Amino acid sequence: MILPLILLYVISLVYLAITERFRNFASIMALQGWLLFLVALVRLHAIHPAELAFIACETLLFKGVLVPALLFAVIRKTGISRVRTSGSSQFRSLLLSFAALVVSVSVTYLVADASADRLFFGVALYALLSGLVLIVMRTRIFSHMVGFLTIENGVFLFSTAIGVEMPLLINAAILLDILMSVLMLGLFFTKIDRTIHAIDADSLTRVKD
Amino acid sequence: MIIYLLASILVAAAAFVVRGRRTLYAVGALFYAVQLALLTVLCCGAAPQSQAGGLFVFDAPGTLFYGLLTLVSIYAFHHSEAYLKASDIGHLRTYSGLMMLLTTAIAGAYFADNLAVTWIFLEATTLCSAGLIYYRRTAPALEAAWKYLFVCSTGIAMAYLGILLLAGASHGGSLGYAAVGAALPGANPLYLKIAFLLILTGYSCKMELFPLYTVGVDANFAAPAPASALISTGLVNAGFLAILRVYKLYAATEVFPWVRGVLLAAGVLSLGVGALFLRRTNNYKRFLSYSTVENMGIAAIGLGIGGAGVWAAVFHVVCHTLVKSSLFLQMGVVRQVYDGYRINRLGDYMRINRVGAVGLMAGMVALVAFPPSPLFVSELMILSEAAATERWWLLALLLLLTCIVIYSFCSRMIRLCYQPNQDQLHPSGVDRALSWSALSLLVAALVIGFWQPALLQRIITEIATL
Repeated sequence: MILPLILLYVISLVYLAITERFRNFASIMALQGWLLFLVALVRLHAIHPAELAFIACETLLFKGVLVPALLFAVIRKTGISRVRTSGSSQFRSLLLSFAALVVSVSVTYLVADASADRLFFGVALYALLSGLVLIVMRTRIFSHMVGFLTIENGVFLFSTAIGVEMPLLINAAILLDILMSVLMLGLFFTKIDRTIHAIDADSLTRVKD
Repeated sequence: MIIYLLASILVAAAAFVVRGRRTLYAVGALFYAVQLALLTVLCCGAAPQSQAGGLFVFDAPGTLFYGLLTLVSIYAFHHSEAYLKASDIGHLRTYSGLMMLLTTAIAGAYFADNLAVTWIFLEATTLCSAGLIYYRRTAPALEAAWKYLFVCSTGIAMAYLGILLLAGASHGGSLGYAAVGAALPGANPLYLKIAFLLILTGYSCKMELFPLYTVGVDANFAAPAPASALISTGLVNAGFLAILRVYKLYAATEVFPWVRGVLLAAGVLSLGVGALFLRRTNNYKRFLSYSTVENMGIAAIGLGIGGAGVWAAVFHVVCHTLVKSSLFLQMGVVRQVYDGYRINRLGDYMRINRVGAVGLMAGMVALVAFPPSPLFVSELMILSEAAATERWWLLALLLLLTCIVIYSFCSRMIRLCYQPNQDQLHPSGVDRALSWSALSLLVAALVIGFWQPALLQRIITEIATL
């Protein structure tokens, strides 16, 4: 049951690298939220029912509904729809994404450690690298936020692998999600666009040497 | 510890709702009374070491750095009172409340005895610091706050992935430092290396170390000078202590030489970046921030060399706290006079504020590690250890970069004190009492340069023991 979900999750990461429409970014974030909700349900069925209910509800409401809704709201408010000034071509992004995938698979193979689920480890590593590729290769601040959310989702996925023994870890990951994502999206939504009128990271150049 | 956290958070929350300045200062006094009460309890050894079911520990490193944090935070709060006297009460109470929350979060990170708890408190410092950086509500302040929030969040998420890897390596038991340390020696080396890289990269944004040092520089630039004093010392120390605790976890593993190599590389790169940007920047606060990057680079090199270098690194960070906070507070007075920090335009400070100028010149002597600076002791120990381990390339590089730092510092500070001033002076004039106050921190550092008390030596030895 887990494997198809994880595979779908990996495909969504590959798609993130090639899509240029922000609506697609938001939709993929919603899809990942739902996938993580299902993974958490399947993976954590052994923990205390109250904790499982809390984690599942948080994942669904926050990652599956609230974050995508905020992303769509940002798209509507700023009126930007696609990565117009991409720092690289789609082909290069795809190439980098595949390179990240190869690195993740290789490292996972080399680690060969039974102490953590290797599948989760590899996918989390790929999510981390995919997020970093998005942040580094794209110039729009919106893409950077999606990159950060991608990293966060990867971290959350890996926490579900470890969290069977330590639910505290998943709760801490949830804390990260709620505090930082809402604060960053809120700051972008209410301040950055209105005060600085900046949608490209390149235009954030007031603070420099 | 829980009582301390509750009391501090409640007092800080009260600061957000007070109506008058006098009440705000009274709340500030109450907050620091709580801090001093905890410090007294720690110094008397009246509390058990393990706290809150093993989540916190009152150990030597936590106590030493907490003492420094309390000292710097009291100075920063006192200076803020004068520095921000023109601000409206709404902004001032937010600022004061955030300063108190930041102090509490840093203290939590110092005393955390669990990887996840350390991470949670470091995450909390991001939120408090971002509020302080955005204090002026200007476009540059917003940009700096956004960058700080974004980069720290990304870094801290990466660090969390590293912590999860360590949790996996410790076979799902506890995330307490002792339990993880006991489980790591048998773990997969590649697994441990990836975990360390992620944690170091993530926490580097707090320690202002390569690679994520830039956000710290921007934060210090945008925040009010007293807040910069706290961020550039107390918060940086939290990052250092978090990395030091992880470093000690790795001491018994087979990848420890590799870990030291990584710290050495990060340290040399930080020192290089700091030294080069000290020449390039045209803003005195950014200048001091790059000096922090450079000094944290030296501390990381100390950890990387190992042996006596670890002792020197801890001592370096302790003394840097006193020197750098003094200089940032002096810069607060400089801003009162000139209403800015532009290096190419400010001058004649020796005539305008002799006490402040002497404080800056003495701070310069301390930071470039001329005797009797305490940093001379630590840097000499690191150089000696590099020579003793026959790392001649490192020795040459350290000497070269230190020369660049000395030249940059001397030229910039002498320019501020003696070159003809090209800016209009700010009508608020000079508050020499603040210059004297900042100077007292520097005097404390210079005293440590002459004479290191046996108690301090013993505590640092305990911290540096792997």
